[in-house]
Amino acid sequence: MASRREFMMALGGTLVAVGARQVIGQQGAEAPGASMEGDGYIPVRRLPRPAAAKRLTPLERDAVERMISCPCPCTLDVFTCRTSMPCGFSPRLHADVVALANGGYSADEILAAFEQSYGEKILMAPHKQGFNWVGWLAPFAAVGGGAFVVGALIRRWGSRAAERRATSSVPVDGSDDEMAQLEAAVRGDDR
Amino acid sequence: MILIGELSLWVALLMAAWSATVSFAGGQMRRSDLVASGERALYATFAFVVLASIGLWTALLTSDFSLRFVASYTSSNLPAVYKFSAFWGGQAGSMLFWCLILALYSAITLFANRRTNRELMPFVTGTLAAILIFFLATTAFGANPYARLDWIPPDGTGLNPQLQNPGMAIHPPNLYLGYVATSVPFAFAIAALITRRLDAEWLAAVRRWSLVSWLFLTIGITLGMWWAYVELGWGGYWAWDPVENASLLPWLTGTAFLHSIMIQEKRGMLRKWNVTLVVATFLLAILGTFITRSGVIESVHSFAQSPIGSWFAGFLILAIVVTAFLVATRLKDLEAQAELESMVSREAAFLYNNVVLVGIAFSVLWGTLFPIISEAVRGSKITVGAPFFNTVNIPLGLLLLGLTGVGPLIAWRRASVANLKRQFAVPVAGGLVLGAAFFALGMRDGYALVSYTLAGFVTTTIAQEFVKGVGARRRIHGEAIPIALLRLIGRNRRRYGGYIVHFGIVVLFAAFAGLAFKKEYDLSLTPGSSFTALDPYNRSWTFTSQGVSRYEELNRQVTAVVLEAKRPGMAPTLIKSEKRQHVDSRGQPTFEPSTEVGILESLRQDVYLVLHGVTGEETAEIRITFNPLVWWVWYGGIIMAIGGLIVMWPQATRSRSGRREGGYVVVMQPAAERPPVEAGV
Repeated sequence: MASRREFMMALGGTLVAVGARQVIGQQGAEAPGASMEGDGYIPVRRLPRPAAAKRLTPLERDAVERMISCPCPCTLDVFTCRTSMPCGFSPRLHADVVALANGGYSADEILAAFEQSYGEKILMAPHKQGFNWVGWLAPFAAVGGGAFVVGALIRRWGSRAAERRATSSVPVDGSDDEMAQLEAAVRGDDR
Repeated sequence: MILIGELSLWVALLMAAWSATVSFAGGQMRRSDLVASGERALYATFAFVVLASIGLWTALLTSDFSLRFVASYTSSNLPAVYKFSAFWGGQAGSMLFWCLILALYSAITLFANRRTNRELMPFVTGTLAAILIFFLATTAFGANPYARLDWIPPDGTGLNPQLQNPGMAIHPPNLYLGYVATSVPFAFAIAALITRRLDAEWLAAVRRWSLVSWLFLTIGITLGMWWAYVELGWGGYWAWDPVENASLLPWLTGTAFLHSIMIQEKRGMLRKWNVTLVVATFLLAILGTFITRSGVIESVHSFAQSPIGSWFAGFLILAIVVTAFLVATRLKDLEAQAELESMVSREAAFLYNNVVLVGIAFSVLWGTLFPIISEAVRGSKITVGAPFFNTVNIPLGLLLLGLTGVGPLIAWRRASVANLKRQFAVPVAGGLVLGAAFFALGMRDGYALVSYTLAGFVTTTIAQEFVKGVGARRRIHGEAIPIALLRLIGRNRRRYGGYIVHFGIVVLFAAFAGLAFKKEYDLSLTPGSSFTALDPYNRSWTFTSQGVSRYEELNRQVTAVVLEAKRPGMAPTLIKSEKRQHVDSRGQPTFEPSTEVGILESLRQDVYLVLHGVTGEETAEIRITFNPLVWWVWYGGIIMAIGGLIVMWPQATRSRSGRREGGYVVVMQPAAERPPVEAGV
């Protein structure tokens, strides 16, 4: 039978192994972001479509850039970053977007191309699919659930209060003027 | 002085430790000598933290580069005002600044309660001292601004250009004043839970502090938005950055508390909920600080990654465990004295308002943390940025705006159908008329239309309340309208100050909705060339380049473009945008170039000029943006702050003796026993 010391060592070894695998796994997960130019930037290039019927307007192109996250630590989208900071990334990503837009690619195709190169992290908001639905719906579920609980509580409290009122009610007899004066007094407007 | 400051930091830590120990012991053992000693020690802590702060300010202003902090955040050619504000520009200094504010608040709390709340005060003192221990220890051991370098550099690195803005001098202090003020209500809540004195006494004590926190957070957030707007690089006045989100969280729960506290005051209800909100507000302020300082979440605002993030995580967990234990063991003492009677009552409206406020806080927190959650669950990183927050929070925000108008229209306890019809008729009509008017004028953005319709509804509600109140005073006292209005507000500051805050919210939402109509133009201009653009109001503007100039200022090399802006009916005006390359005292570049925007401001819109760069000798690459209603954001913030001040302003002595939970009681005598009502009364 293993001693407590042996057990702790085995547990420690297991944790180290799991941790190491996690680190290796993370490094693997970073593969899509592996740099072609040494700093995390990956060129997103596609052959132009000469026969494309419609090209994105500058405003539509800006909208696409607003959906692409800048890989620098700014947490901004490419459009905002390049028009305000700008960092070493956003002008290059902008150039890629411009090239793709001029090449006849649609907004969805440009976003898909960037996602293919960088992974989902490059998008400013996660896709509405799979586990991401938890992220999208949780706030509404929380507010809806909260409202439901509050509604149920008030209904329960209300029925108890109604029972109490039924057993001890005092009829109020007052003219409209009196009631208006009372309301003003209650509001504190008469002070 | 610098050495005295360094020593004072350590002495302050010892004093806080003594204060916490003897205060809790004194409160538990009911020993007044220990309690008094704890209070004196907390005053002494404040004095030593002041000395420590003066020491650091001395080092900053005299450019003592032997201190790592001074060398990292200042340079000898930095203007004095930024040397002064560099105190909170870096991790270590900002920690000491937090300690300074907390010690100041603690001393004020002790002084203000030297004769009141004596049962609670030992534990309030102990809790505040315990929080001070954490912050002082983190400062002394984890991020010491007095840490020295092995060698003395000839000059410092300088302050990040984005921090060289007047906003730096006022925005962080206001935000810190707001964050730290949440500690005092938290301390009172802990004291009330420990002593089981959970009646209205502790609530009365914390209400003003909650308002202080709310007011400073409101001012701080508004100033932050202004700074982020005028200083390029933060991504506009609100970019849903994690650190921006962190400031919003305690503001939201604090606002919820300021509404729900009224229900406990008037009806003796929601005791558990109020304790929870007070605690949550404090914990969210700490969580925000953890997010800013730990490096677990990337942010454009965050400090460099440092080990103190784990200190904050530990403190947060400890605070949650202690509070949860106290609440769980005192559930019976937190039972309500009354219960809600109707779904259609002001209490219910406040509760729904609380649900939405806390729901928005949850959604902001959830969105901020979801990348970490997703990575833990799926193993791959995602980004949660502005599109997510806008999709989720705009509908919730509009719901909240609607409730802002609904609450004041419904009676306490229970509203009758007749009462509802009477109260809602005018505001609903006001909202619909405004919405229809905007639709007729061609507005087709759905959210903007809903926003302006609700803005009309809430504004009419507020106006109706003022008209009724003034009318009542005129009937009863025969006062002129201005006098009646002033006295109405003065005699019932909480109610009417609150309405002013609501109006500020309306103005803010109107401004946010205006952003849906902004227009942007990218262009290249050589000297003398012009560009014509239409603004959101379809007015034609002509911009003519006056050329590019290059010159040197105190600590920077500047490249500037000046445009002449013209439109029919307006005199030509010049707008300038600059690219700045900051340099050290030897003329060497220090940071990446920064951009100073040029803004032509008006109530309707801002013309926002950004110089991207200069190609060739004189061709300016620029962006011109028409930002509608941006000034309304600042005005909204100012109106909210004014309303908050009115609410906070001490009422005359009247309520001091009569303050109690449960509010007023109205007794209607049976008709037979009533004296006859005289005509004209």
